[in-house]
Amino acid sequence: MLERLGKIRDFICEDHRYVFLSTSVIASLGLWFSMQPRSSMSFLRQAYALEVVLYWYLIAWLAISAAALLLKLTHWNNYAETSPFRKKPLVTVVRWMSYFAWLATLLLFVDRAVMGFISVTSVALQQDTNPSGFLSSIVYMVDKSYPIIWQGIVTTVGLSVFGTLIAFVLATLLVFLRIQTVERSDNDAVRFFKTLGVGFAKLYSTVVRGTPMMVQGMLIYFTGFGLLKNSGMTVSEIGAIWSTFVAGLVTISLNSTAYMMEVLRGGIEAVDTGQVEAARSLGLSQWQAMLKVVFPQGVKNAIPALSNELIVNIKDSSVLSVIGVFDLMFATKTVAGIYFKQVEMYAVAALIYLCLTMIASWLLGKFAKRLSVNPTPLTSVSDMDMTVGTVSGKEEYSLEGRKRENKRKARYDNPKSEQ
Amino acid sequence: MMTKTTATEPLITVKGLRKSFDDHLVLKDIDLSVYPGEVVTIIGASGSGKSTLLRCMNLLETPDSGEIWFHGSNLAAERVDLNRLRESIGMVFQGFNLFNNMDVLDNCTLAPVTLKKMSKAEAEEEAMRNLDAVGLSRFAHASPASLSGGQKQRVAIARALCMKPDLMLFDEPTSALDPEIVGEVLNVMRGLAEEGMTMVVVTHEMAFAKGVSDKVVFMDQGVIAESGAPADMFSNPKLPRTREFLSRYLDD
Repeated sequence: MLERLGKIRDFICEDHRYVFLSTSVIASLGLWFSMQPRSSMSFLRQAYALEVVLYWYLIAWLAISAAALLLKLTHWNNYAETSPFRKKPLVTVVRWMSYFAWLATLLLFVDRAVMGFISVTSVALQQDTNPSGFLSSIVYMVDKSYPIIWQGIVTTVGLSVFGTLIAFVLATLLVFLRIQTVERSDNDAVRFFKTLGVGFAKLYSTVVRGTPMMVQGMLIYFTGFGLLKNSGMTVSEIGAIWSTFVAGLVTISLNSTAYMMEVLRGGIEAVDTGQVEAARSLGLSQWQAMLKVVFPQGVKNAIPALSNELIVNIKDSSVLSVIGVFDLMFATKTVAGIYFKQVEMYAVAALIYLCLTMIASWLLGKFAKRLSVNPTPLTSVSDMDMTVGTVSGKEEYSLEGRKRENKRKARYDNPKSEQ
Repeated sequence: MMTKTTATEPLITVKGLRKSFDDHLVLKDIDLSVYPGEVVTIIGASGSGKSTLLRCMNLLETPDSGEIWFHGSNLAAERVDLNRLRESIGMVFQGFNLFNNMDVLDNCTLAPVTLKKMSKAEAEEEAMRNLDAVGLSRFAHASPASLSGGQKQRVAIARALCMKPDLMLFDEPTSALDPEIVGEVLNVMRGLAEEGMTMVVVTHEMAFAKGVSDKVVFMDQGVIAESGAPADMFSNPKLPRTREFLSRYLDD
């Protein structure tokens, strides 16, 4: 973050090459804003003279840039020596002028876009009927049906988060069945159960990944409903225990289990075979080697793909609205139906889904970063220095290097802490 | 150096071992006995089957036919309690194969705690003793990734020793190491041989084979072409093939 800020600062303060180009883009944007109609809350409406000045200032900037470009094109080989734009004081003047161009654009942006949005919002909020404008209609509908949309968001997040967690647990169990191999030392019963387990896991994965989740949701919901009905329960009793939410959660969990199992299997198979061989050579059974050595490393390998599964579930839970789960999709459909404004509401839904997936991917990124850091502390820092060049993995190298730096720093700051 | 072949029973005996990968026959009727306390080095060109032979000796590779007798059991038989027998056969790999998800100490204590029902403290004490013997006790809590190749291999040896094996198998333990750190691993192995550990070593280190082993086995194209005491083998090889192989190494 700091590094990025530093880069931006360098770009603005030190790098002269892009002053004309980037500021001209910004100035053009400012001119475009100035051509947009003013809203009722525009503050430049009261200061018309200022707006004229801003407008002509941006025009002037574009003219200067064009002049600089012309000079550059005509003096391509010795521009640096001949151009007045590369000499003091003009360099400094142009630099300051570019800052003012950014400021002018910022003012115009606030006046047109920000104040415009606020005024649309405040007008829309006072309406009694749905306004016709795209933006104001969205604001009006979201304001009026806020609780419905919120409930949809909560349901979607609940479905995908809990569904993914349950699926992870189930996938962990299932992948154990999937990766079993029959060994020479196994007796007949073990051979039978291993073969059965592998077969079941394969079948499960094929069926679940080969059918649409929408169909699975329907099947699961109505199967559960039918079973409870046959046991003599009334519809309202069934609704209490086999709600659409529960059915949806079961569907998304079972569906995601198959995908996560395949992801885990990939991660486990990516673990170096030498790891198993070493464990087996010590006398550990296949099961113990899996549990203690391979599986922890396999899960770590699979974390990026596993976390992707949460994002997929946030989006794909939308198909569960067909069984009546009150998720974001269902909520959107409901609101769109009330006002008969489909495009506006689905645009809102798309934006909310996008926000949810972006937040999820950001959080998962942080989580993954934390997990990949090996928490094991190094006992002897001075000894580590000798081995810098020989560590194998590049990533591990930088990690250890950083740890070493930190330790060394700590030692300088507090020399006694090592003793 | 004296060969210790008299009187005692062999610790491990390989009889008529055959192994093929797909259609390619890698081991053709191998017979080999290793006696307690003996250090046997297996030399030979790449692809001669020496690593496969070693890996068959603890059934990491399943032989097509033949017998491997160890502690009164035929390892190559179906349904033998392989895991229990493997506890007594330590193995050191070319690629170290330290468990990446554990620190050095946990690498050493995993098998004793899991299999010998040792308490964690007991196992750690034993592990520290073995790490100390290979000169790495100060790295007990380091992650394997932070160690150099030579250090990793010494940890791998300590890890195998923690199971108190009767037999140690070394599969080209120094081939993945830089020349200047090969010595630190060979020193540990030399010390182990002097303590009387039974060892089978696949190696390209001729000086080690000559100086430390009791018996040298030269493999060529899936058969044991020649074997004998290192003094005889190195000074007076019988076969032209052996002579050619050795001259290439001893010239260096």
